[in-house]
Amino acid sequence: MLQSKAYVKKTRHGRVLKVVREHYLRDDIACGTITCTACDNSKACLSASPAPIIVFDTNVVLRQIDLLENSAISNVVVLSVVLEEVKNKDLSVYNRLRTICSNPARNFFVFSNENHRDTYIKGLAGESPNDRNDRAIRVASKWYHEHLGPASKVVLVTNDAENKRKALEEGIDAQTVEDFVRKLGQAELLDLLVGAGTEDAQTTADADDNRPSKRKVIYPEHKLMSEITSGLHKGIYHQGKLRVNRYNGFEATVSTESLGQEILIHGRIDMNRGFDGDVVAVELLPQEQWQENSLEKIVEDVDEDESEEPVGLVPGSAEQLPELIETGPAARPRGRVIGIIKRNWRQYCGSLEPVENTSSAGGKVNALFVSADRRLPKIRIQTRQLENLSNKRIIVSVDSWERTMRYPSGHYVSTIGDIGDRATESEVILFENDINNKPFSQQVLDCLPPLPWSLPAEELQNPNRRDLRQVRVFSVDPPGCKDIDDALHCTLRPDGNYEVGVHIADVTNFVLPDTALDHEACQRGTSVYLVERRIDMLPKPLTEDICSLRADVERLSFSVIWEMTPEAEIISAQFTKSIIKSCAAMSYAEAQARMDDSRLSDPLTVDLRNMNRLAKIMRQRRIDRGALTLASPEVKFEIDSETHDPLDVGMYQIREANQMIEEFMLAANVSVAEKIVEHFSQFSMLRRHPVPSPKMLEPLLLTAAAVGVDLDISTSKALADSLDRAVGGDPYFNKLIRILATRCMTQALYFSSGDCTPPEFHHYGLASPIYTHFTSPIRRYADVIVHRLLAAALGLSKVPGALREKTMLTSVADNLNLRHRNAQMASRASVELHTLIFFKNRPTDTEARIVRIKSNGLIVFVPKFGIEGPVYLTGKKDKKDESDWIVNEQSQTTESRDGKYRFKVLDKLVVHIEVVEPQPNRPKLQLTLVDQANECMSIK
Amino acid sequence: MDFISPEGLRLDGRRPFELRQLHAEIGVLDNADGSATFEMGNTKVIAVVYGPREVQNRSQQQLDHALVRCEYSMATFSTGDRRRRGKGDRRGTELSLVIRQTMEAAILTNLLPRSQIDIFVQVLQADGGTRACCINAAALALADAGIPMRDLVASCSAGYLNSTPLLDLNYLEDSGGGPDLTVALFSKLDKVTLLQMDAKVPLDVFEKVMNLASEGAKAVTQFLREILMENTKKLAFAKEPLKV
Amino acid sequence: MGDAMRGAHFRLSPAQKQRMLVAQERCRDAAGSVHSSAFVNVGDTIPVDYENGYLRGHGTQVVDGQLLATVCGVVERVNKLVSVRPLRARYNPETGDVVVGRVTEVAPKRWKVDVNSRQDAQLMLSAVNLPGGIQRRRTATDELNMRDLFTENDLISAEVQTLHQDGSLHLHTRSLKYGKLESGQLVKVAPYLIKRLKQHFHQLKQYGVQMILGCNGYVWISALPQSTPDIATDQKRANTESLEAAAGTADSQNVEISRELRERICRLANVVRVLGACGFLIHPDSIVDTYEASLSWGTELKHMFSGEFFVKVVEREAEQRSKKG
Repeated sequence: MLQSKAYVKKTRHGRVLKVVREHYLRDDIACGTITCTACDNSKACLSASPAPIIVFDTNVVLRQIDLLENSAISNVVVLSVVLEEVKNKDLSVYNRLRTICSNPARNFFVFSNENHRDTYIKGLAGESPNDRNDRAIRVASKWYHEHLGPASKVVLVTNDAENKRKALEEGIDAQTVEDFVRKLGQAELLDLLVGAGTEDAQTTADADDNRPSKRKVIYPEHKLMSEITSGLHKGIYHQGKLRVNRYNGFEATVSTESLGQEILIHGRIDMNRGFDGDVVAVELLPQEQWQENSLEKIVEDVDEDESEEPVGLVPGSAEQLPELIETGPAARPRGRVIGIIKRNWRQYCGSLEPVENTSSAGGKVNALFVSADRRLPKIRIQTRQLENLSNKRIIVSVDSWERTMRYPSGHYVSTIGDIGDRATESEVILFENDINNKPFSQQVLDCLPPLPWSLPAEELQNPNRRDLRQVRVFSVDPPGCKDIDDALHCTLRPDGNYEVGVHIADVTNFVLPDTALDHEACQRGTSVYLVERRIDMLPKPLTEDICSLRADVERLSFSVIWEMTPEAEIISAQFTKSIIKSCAAMSYAEAQARMDDSRLSDPLTVDLRNMNRLAKIMRQRRIDRGALTLASPEVKFEIDSETHDPLDVGMYQIREANQMIEEFMLAANVSVAEKIVEHFSQFSMLRRHPVPSPKMLEPLLLTAAAVGVDLDISTSKALADSLDRAVGGDPYFNKLIRILATRCMTQALYFSSGDCTPPEFHHYGLASPIYTHFTSPIRRYADVIVHRLLAAALGLSKVPGALREKTMLTSVADNLNLRHRNAQMASRASVELHTLIFFKNRPTDTEARIVRIKSNGLIVFVPKFGIEGPVYLTGKKDKKDESDWIVNEQSQTTESRDGKYRFKVLDKLVVHIEVVEPQPNRPKLQLTLVDQANECMSIK
Repeated sequence: MDFISPEGLRLDGRRPFELRQLHAEIGVLDNADGSATFEMGNTKVIAVVYGPREVQNRSQQQLDHALVRCEYSMATFSTGDRRRRGKGDRRGTELSLVIRQTMEAAILTNLLPRSQIDIFVQVLQADGGTRACCINAAALALADAGIPMRDLVASCSAGYLNSTPLLDLNYLEDSGGGPDLTVALFSKLDKVTLLQMDAKVPLDVFEKVMNLASEGAKAVTQFLREILMENTKKLAFAKEPLKV
Repeated sequence: MGDAMRGAHFRLSPAQKQRMLVAQERCRDAAGSVHSSAFVNVGDTIPVDYENGYLRGHGTQVVDGQLLATVCGVVERVNKLVSVRPLRARYNPETGDVVVGRVTEVAPKRWKVDVNSRQDAQLMLSAVNLPGGIQRRRTATDELNMRDLFTENDLISAEVQTLHQDGSLHLHTRSLKYGKLESGQLVKVAPYLIKRLKQHFHQLKQYGVQMILGCNGYVWISALPQSTPDIATDQKRANTESLEAAAGTADSQNVEISRELRERICRLANVVRVLGACGFLIHPDSIVDTYEASLSWGTELKHMFSGEFFVKVVEREAEQRSKKG
């Protein structure tokens, strides 16, 4: 049964090709019903009665995919003709549909009707492809009905009137989506429907008038794709990704290759319905319009959110800084969006704005959805459950944005929980950062060895594994740490040199390449550390027991063993798989106490002291080479064990013990990096830190100059030395300068060694020519890859196929960088959330330091809590020249007109911190200046 | 791209271990001593054999065995876009050599000294697996010409996509980037005459694909035998009524 | 065409196709029961009584103690000799065969003749009848004048003299009936369709036509020679030194052949061609039969290659076979 499909297509070069393909028809395709005796039902999951078998047509699937994802819909036959059409039209919907189908609990069966002898149809002469597909769907539905007998019920759900009519004529039970959902009797499903009729729509105050005649066109038209392509060729349009300013939803930049610099987009009309992340086509505005002051534009849209800088954590790097539009002399090119090339719509998390007239209870109401991410516009949805949803965080998805609508239209998908509830807000953080915290699937758990696990006998016989159980190995970690991935030892050799070893948990022994466990870990990329919990990359039995190098148990590890002179010169480095038995798992405080206690002189303490001494020498050598010591403004929360609310917040204390461990971890990472690059120069996973550009360091230099500190940024060593020399009035001064320096740095990145030249391997911050991550495979997937590479370099196993291709490794590295960034942002967001909760009922006065002077106030940094934010001296609405304050940007000072107060950058202040809610459900921290005489200086 | 759907069907509806439809015809060219066309799905190849006959180039004459020459070419209309290929193009030369070596191993050349056997193979329609198809066609043509052979050579191709070994790749699957292995066997003697692959694969994958291709070649042998037997019977019966 | 017929270039209408198929089926069925094991493919095992011993003939090989076929064909057993005869192979020469061939090359002391076999046959100078007498030492002059006897592209009839180990073939034309052929038609058919008979020279006096059925598949049809050559005439002629009296057949260069005779020759040739295309055995009786039938059907010469004629021929054959069987 061989059919042949012939069609004509046009190639890229414009030639016309006739394509002929074979199409085999089969008679061994099962119908998927459990009760059917005629077909092979090993994979069956449908039941013919009493519940009807549902067949959806393509347009219903494309538009109502959210409805299909809801677990109320089940017992569905997905025809292969529908699958193909969906795949061709929208890949993301196709992927979602496939995920539903592969979930056995949902009872979705994929029936290959195109290859089944009885249900395959040839297109008739003059029939359009769409008509032919519709006919195929009808034929297949009819076949199902006949195949399963008269007692079965088959329902075809389609919104196409023609299709429905023909189906009814042919004796198939056909219904529209609305009828179908209504019959199911679950009201909330109706909300999920897209484009449901607007008979009962009610207008609310802030929604546009829906009557067509009264709708005015707000946005300019998007140009046709053909015009855009020709425009791009000619160079009058430019293409790039739209990046909306995180703190101002109506400013965006588009970085294009064709222009070489970023194009500014200002204001809602110019943004023309573009979303953050869309690929857009931009037309440059005439040059006269480039100079306009950004502030004036914003004032127009009064009812939009303020564009103030928020109070939040200190940025850890330049990429986390709020992007403020500079009103400097150099005008950046401005443009406007004239077309969207690729939409980047996804699901968004947020809450509904309160609606004034809730007169009709139970009817369909228009509401505006506001996302947690400020880069998104408000989305209009229609819902029947307004009262239910008014205090909840919900997920919404976008459908369309017409020219006549001020806001895009979307529909409700699901609810997360109450606003302000810590668990809900944490969920929101995870959702917004694309962090997968679903429990591990059964397939993944099946990859684990059975518990309880103990060292298998064959490992002892394994010649590739060294038996180091008799060595005095110990580990030092944060208190309460259960996933111990590194342990060390330091023994004095008879010849006076030291043998120092770093042992890392042998995770790749259990996480084998290309297993479900491996895929899941690769996709997650890293463990995410929120304040109150940790989202693991690997299942708990591995992280806390089998791989964790706990004390007094035998564990498998991967070791780096150096022979060092007493001056910490490395004579040789050996890499081997090993078995260890840790004798002590200490916390940093414990280890420090032991070293400091001069009464103790047991072997363990002696080892610790020796290590410490070596570590200090190594650290000094690193600093001499130019490593930067930057200050971390990290804070630590003390959590109440019952309510899980934060009890206290404090700065992270760095002790010598921390630095000691850090030093050896760095050395291990460098040694391993050198080894794998030696063997696999084209596909090693490494980590680099690009040198920050002088432009990025400008703000630092400005501030430093204002306080009389001279910073030399020519090399990292020069910078490090000048940072050391920057000493000011009080001990905290130096730390402040370091904190300011940190925020100018670039982010470190994973990369594949085949993608960069060796000079580019350089890690600026550590001043090391080469670096990688090796020491934490339990919580970072990059380390797992490096473990595999090292094992292959030592000849212990072969290089996994996935790593052999250059492009694969590059995409894995990109994914890991993305996951790392997302994990960092989620951590920060979690800390900010907990800070907010902490201050909610505890307004506090505390010391702060000024880090920047602005035209309308100061930016201050609160060391105790590690937060930073604005203190306003002039109100929002005050004009610049009428203000009471004189600002000098160059010397970074501000003076009150009456001379009473004078503030200079890095001065000390006292501020009052409290939580306010200027808009309902949007709590934020506010800092206000406290007078020396302890009076609150309020501004209005 | 999904070369094999989660339901286990390939792009054209076959399952991973299924061959395409085979079709063969013997005796399509009158002038030649032996000729045959072979079709595997949409790939059609015609093979024509002249010989054994007097060696045309006296200097190449071998005193103790026959000279086997082979020429492979693709018709300009064989692929989607019409393309004229020169005589010396590398792929053509390589395939000519490969087919010659394979058939030479099969023909009992020492029974035909001082003679020449010419095999001409032309691809009329290319849709993946042309190498295998050419060898099958050449084997049929040689059998038709009555040239003594050690055993029937049959050949089949296989590949590996989406972590599944696939038998008899068509053009789409061939361009999918996975390995493409062609094997030619003596089915009765169970010996490999040709094994070609252009990819880098780990050993276990190679074993799976090779075994699958061998199975495919055995199935093709079955088909070839049937065709030849039918042809022989037809000729014999037509000639005269035979009696036991 | 459904059932490929070699050398047949015509199109059949559906009705004709049907008739053709039916007729071919009948032909086959009428063949009587044949051992299917008589047919083998390349590499098939030939059932042999290993105990009693056997002699291995052409088309077989021994592998691992088993007897395998090397060609597709029919198994022939003659006492203990087991061989496989392929059907469509090139001509396999045997001593004493009458062949018709074309001279391809004139070499020192020999001619090379193409006889549709593995190699070109050799006709030694010493193996031909010289014009000036039967037995004479070949002189140098003879050597230089070889071209006057036979030159390139001449058609000759000859007999296979010897067959050497390496497959080389030697012919001779030592009888007056052999020699150069002129004024006629050569038809090439597959060698296996021509059985070895006592006589290969057939004179159809009723048509005034002479046929030579070469064992190598080349069939020669021409007008009857004017006088039957015999040894006496030959000797007489031999005394004359005339070189123009070519060896063998009568001097027919100047004889005029009437249109009617030409038509008959043509018709016979077409009959041979059709029989060859249908795959039927070529036997003088079958040729004459079919010739008569074509005349009785009133088939014109130009229509002898139409589908209708072919179908009729096959049907006729089917009739005859079923009658016989």
